[in-house]
Amino acid sequence: MGKFIVIGERIHCISPAIRKAMDQKDPAPILKRAKEQLDAGADYLDVNIGPAEKGGEELMKWVVTLLQENFDNVPLCLDTANKKAIEAGISVYNRQKGKPIINSADAGDRIENIDLAAANDAICIALCSKSGVPADNDERMVYCQELLERGMGLGMDPSDLWFDPLFLVIKGMQDKQKDCLEAIHMFTEMGLNTTGGLSNISNGMPKDIRPIMDAAMVAMAMANGLNSAIVNPCDKRLMETIKSCDIIKDNCLYADSYLEI
Amino acid sequence: MPFKSTPQPFKAAINAVTIGVGDKAMTIGGENVLPLYTFDAPIANPPKVGFEITDTGLELAIPGIAALYEGTSTIGERAKKAETLEGVDFISLKFAGADPNGENKSAEDCAAVAKEVASATSLPIVVEGCGNAEKDAALFEKVADALADRNVLFMSAKEENYKAVGAAVGLAYGQKVGAESSVDINLAKQLNVLLSQLGVKNENIAINPGSAAVGYGFEYVASTMERIKAAALSQNDTSLQMPIVTPVASEAFNVKEAVVSEEDMPEWGPAEQRGIDMEISTAVSAITYGSNAVILRHPESVKTVSSFVKAMTE
Repeated sequence: MGKFIVIGERIHCISPAIRKAMDQKDPAPILKRAKEQLDAGADYLDVNIGPAEKGGEELMKWVVTLLQENFDNVPLCLDTANKKAIEAGISVYNRQKGKPIINSADAGDRIENIDLAAANDAICIALCSKSGVPADNDERMVYCQELLERGMGLGMDPSDLWFDPLFLVIKGMQDKQKDCLEAIHMFTEMGLNTTGGLSNISNGMPKDIRPIMDAAMVAMAMANGLNSAIVNPCDKRLMETIKSCDIIKDNCLYADSYLEI
Repeated sequence: MPFKSTPQPFKAAINAVTIGVGDKAMTIGGENVLPLYTFDAPIANPPKVGFEITDTGLELAIPGIAALYEGTSTIGERAKKAETLEGVDFISLKFAGADPNGENKSAEDCAAVAKEVASATSLPIVVEGCGNAEKDAALFEKVADALADRNVLFMSAKEENYKAVGAAVGLAYGQKVGAESSVDINLAKQLNVLLSQLGVKNENIAINPGSAAVGYGFEYVASTMERIKAAALSQNDTSLQMPIVTPVASEAFNVKEAVVSEEDMPEWGPAEQRGIDMEISTAVSAITYGSNAVILRHPESVKTVSSFVKAMTE
């Protein structure tokens, strides 16, 4: 029923500009990327500070406060392997515009991130894998059950677990794509929310091909029920496709200017 | 097992829009529940009831209205009388006489009439045009200037004149803009988007998504309003969170049930009563489907509809 939720992926420490800004606590490059993504229609911003073993807590607090103060308490997705840094980020997080999202738990080493989400009333992205790529959807569904039971056992509302089918790169794993769509369909049938790092599918493709492939994938995934994704909102073709699919799915009422809002 | 009611207010809410100034200013909208669903959450601003006065005084042909205005000779005096009606929240001043195909009164003349009415009443004022897009734009600009300090709602900006009306009324004078579409849900949304792209703030917009008398396609009006409230509340669509104002008077009193005389149709009874009945049925239905304010013509309807609102929201 609700509109597709776009989580902007561009505040990521893999980017040299962002890495440098995080090292030097320089707000300008981070604010610039945040603004670009929000102007382009992002609902949430992902904040990836990497493993951040050293100084992660302080860094996450700094970024969370910086973004929320400058962008009207924009809701954020906290993305790091450092659990203490996630907790630190949540401790300064303002929930006015939405709960924080923890990115992410899986059915393996990172399952404790669900505990963290339950303890902090956060949303948790639940990646349906253990170590590496699940062989098939039977395996995915086993992980899904494990994650769901863990969260619900800790009192979480199932709607606060956003299941990630694990989008796979087409170049090399073309035969796995239909599985991924089918997994989204199964999660949706169970009434669960879904998300994922969708642009992974076009990794390694030429730059001019990627938006086309991502747009086609998001349309097919939305047809199967996908209701969120971690993507680059500055990709115009992708955003136009998401907005058009939201109209077709009746998630949003049509108006001639729908692409501008 | 005993029934346990679970209140279901929405996270989103209809915008609260204030019209008028001073003690008698009124606020419409603000609710985070479906129309009249007070069991889900309190409705702070119950639907409001307005009384229509036309510059031409055509409504004086109806005996009940003529009786109300007995002893008055000017529109200012009529406005003073209207203010005393039981249940009236605001005055709606309709410039029927500005129609280029009718009396074609000038915008300046209309502004003078508006000033006279405004000085006679402290109730909030809604201004309705003649329906001609070009004339209304010119007329609204002059009236917006004349009533600059009264925080007036102008009905309406349409697809044909939203730029002129939005710029003059909304931007230059900071008055409230009504966006009118004719039972076209997509256009209702589009007009709001266009007005806000023009720079009119959402909290300064009210909408009239179209109206019809009951029995004359009201089911389309109902489903349009229902869809608007669903988008506004359950989908948090900020382009549709404007309160709805429905002019009922001109619809209800123009259908054959209200127009045909008792001589022609003796078994139907007095024409005036039929008009009142049509007006009350339409207004109550509109409020049930989401109108935050209705504009009525007959004192009896004002009394009945306001008591209905009271009973439903208190």
